[in-house]
Amino acid sequence: MKRTLITLILILSLLPISAQTDADIEIGVIEKLDQYIPLDAMLVNEEGDTVLIGDLIDKPTILNFVYYRCPGICSPLMDGLADAMDGNDLVLGEDYQALTISFDPREQTFLAVRKKNNYLNLMEKKEQAEKGWLFFTSDSASIVRLTEAAGFRYKPTGNDFIHSATLIILDPEGKITRYMNGIYFLPFELKMSLLEASEGKSGPTINRVLQYCYSYDPEGQKYVLNITKVSATLIIFFAIVLLVALFIFRKRKTTKS
Amino acid sequence: MSSSQTEPKGYKSYLEEDGGRKGIFKWILSTDHKRIGLMYLYAMMGWFIIGVVLGLLMKLELIAPGKTLMGAQTYNATFTVHGVIMIFLIVIPGLPAVFGNFMLPIQIGAKDVFFPRLNLFSWYIYVLGGILVIISLFGNGAPDTGWTFYAPYSFKTGTNMLPAALGAFVLGFSSILTGLNFIVTIHRMRAPGMTWFKMPLFPWTLYATGWIQLLATPVVGITLLMVAGERILGIGFFDPAKGGDPLLYQHLFWIYSHPAVYIMILPAMGAISEIIPTFVKKTIFGYKAIVFSTLAIAFVGYFVWGHHMYTSGMSGTALWAFSLLTFIVAIPSAIKVFNWISTMHQGSISTEVPFLWAASFIFVFMIGGLTGLVLGSLATDVHVHDTAFVVAHFHFIVFGGVGFAFFGAMHYWFPKIFGRKYDSGWAKTGWITFFIGFVTLYGPMFYLGIAGMPRRYFDYLDEFHGPNIISTFGALVMIAGFLIILVNLIKSARQGERTTEMNPWGGTNLEWQVPTPPPLENFEEIPVIEKATYKFD
Repeated sequence: MKRTLITLILILSLLPISAQTDADIEIGVIEKLDQYIPLDAMLVNEEGDTVLIGDLIDKPTILNFVYYRCPGICSPLMDGLADAMDGNDLVLGEDYQALTISFDPREQTFLAVRKKNNYLNLMEKKEQAEKGWLFFTSDSASIVRLTEAAGFRYKPTGNDFIHSATLIILDPEGKITRYMNGIYFLPFELKMSLLEASEGKSGPTINRVLQYCYSYDPEGQKYVLNITKVSATLIIFFAIVLLVALFIFRKRKTTKS
Repeated sequence: MSSSQTEPKGYKSYLEEDGGRKGIFKWILSTDHKRIGLMYLYAMMGWFIIGVVLGLLMKLELIAPGKTLMGAQTYNATFTVHGVIMIFLIVIPGLPAVFGNFMLPIQIGAKDVFFPRLNLFSWYIYVLGGILVIISLFGNGAPDTGWTFYAPYSFKTGTNMLPAALGAFVLGFSSILTGLNFIVTIHRMRAPGMTWFKMPLFPWTLYATGWIQLLATPVVGITLLMVAGERILGIGFFDPAKGGDPLLYQHLFWIYSHPAVYIMILPAMGAISEIIPTFVKKTIFGYKAIVFSTLAIAFVGYFVWGHHMYTSGMSGTALWAFSLLTFIVAIPSAIKVFNWISTMHQGSISTEVPFLWAASFIFVFMIGGLTGLVLGSLATDVHVHDTAFVVAHFHFIVFGGVGFAFFGAMHYWFPKIFGRKYDSGWAKTGWITFFIGFVTLYGPMFYLGIAGMPRRYFDYLDEFHGPNIISTFGALVMIAGFLIILVNLIKSARQGERTTEMNPWGGTNLEWQVPTPPPLENFEEIPVIEKATYKFD
């Protein structure tokens, strides 16, 4: 009886976490693990040439969507990516590659090149990144196909966009194997994701919790701690710990004086 | 209930046991749950007098249309401070802090609460919260937001809103710690043989209340911190101009403050469940039904907050869902009323003072409850929202419910607490005066609300004049009753006839099996419980 009660409470406490369905999301990431991105989508590379994304993907690939004029989350995201790529021992350009694609169709190649140069100067593995981290722009039709296929939802507001920060890991066939949300990535986790992607395995999203705890603040164009959700989780967590402790540990034989 | 009896001879009562301390230190350094309960009582008594004076000032202002005593700003500040004091400093700590502290360990056969030092600390936090409320009265002027501190006004008003909100925040900690202490005490320190279903009903209600305090109070704490963040740092949680949502404030506030109504009323129901069997000399009818309805109220009470916001803007689905849940939460309360009445049925009723309070509690609580259903229905609520009807309703519940139960409990446990008798004649006079005054004060406000008189205004249209005169007259009668009760109890506590009678009312629970007044550690030997509770031989 007691055990059933405890189990029930534990299950109930998890409900708020799964309350929001993917279909509700207007901005953010709907995970499409094990699905393929459209390999015939067209991108414009750093030389201004049009290429098919399918021709580029021949190894585990980190895909990320940003826009180069972004005043907010994109730069921290790419900083995080650069740090994680610097921090792991796989060879960029050989073992894996990174494709950064602008989802603003108005942006042009020179912006992509300028952005790339900024980040190359920050990196220790500058030479690897030169050929392994590629920056693209694209047309609106391809952008819509790619972002929809990847489950990356964003919304224009005025001249800017509201969007989330995520890395999408693809296997050498273009299949989505993992999402890494947020702006800080453990090099080890990135490496593991890439290694798994090289075998075509998909993995769970550890950073999902970040998505839960942080919400996008359009005013500051940054992610802020979602205080109500976090505190509700903490309150319920401590209450459950207390309840479990009270029921599991035995009652004292004598009263305290 | 059987237990090993403690001999009343040759012992020192908790009032004589001073721990080697002198004067005020006997009290403020004592971790004895009984002394702490009394310290809460004295502090609350002081606050209550202030709250009553503020209430009286408002009624006097409303004796005639237009400005009589005070203008709009002073009136706004008066009802805000009246609300903050009455809610946060009196009815929320109310019965648990005073009688819970005093009686809980005795009723479950323990020597003290599980964390005695934490218990004393909670009292200090309570006093600190009170001091912050006092501070809010000075400086830029007393807060004028109403006790609900609704955003966006609460972070825009120029008055001293922050200290008052901080006071409520600090008081929340006192409430949480007391709740935690009681929960652990009930789990860990029940006497051998006292299973859950042999536990008296007052501890049961304290247990349910403890969980509400623990789970709901942090929500208001965080909410008030968010308001402070908004005021001091300009973070846009609730300000629509910064992308915030003022409705979020209302949701968060009522997620706490509706369960808080049950923090107030459940222990009151517990006290009534103690008084009634004793004075009808019958086992309580439907013990388990009362226990489960207590837990049901505590649980369902979390899901009805939206009924405070029917007119604030919510989806149609949310509206009817909250309305339905509100009707559902009325059921366990009705179960309790049914059980109390059934207990009286064919009982041998003795109309002693505590019983009179309990009976009148049921009367006013039912009026409060039934008018609550009027407010819980969507269509009627739109009509009477923010009118005097709402004020009458919640005074019938909060003051009629908690207040009457508090006075009932006070008269019930008084001989045990002080070891003295009170003057029963004066107590009955006080009760009837108070009761008549109460109904005369708040009764007309139902009519006024339905007729369209809004709440929270210092002025009103001429057509509302008549009922307002009756209402103010009722206030004066009620305060006369209160003064009779207060003087009688204070005088009796100091000079009343001494008594060492262990069980003056013929009650069955453990508090009536310890000496009067109880010794420091309540029991010489922890009793072993064999029989169910409320069994009259």
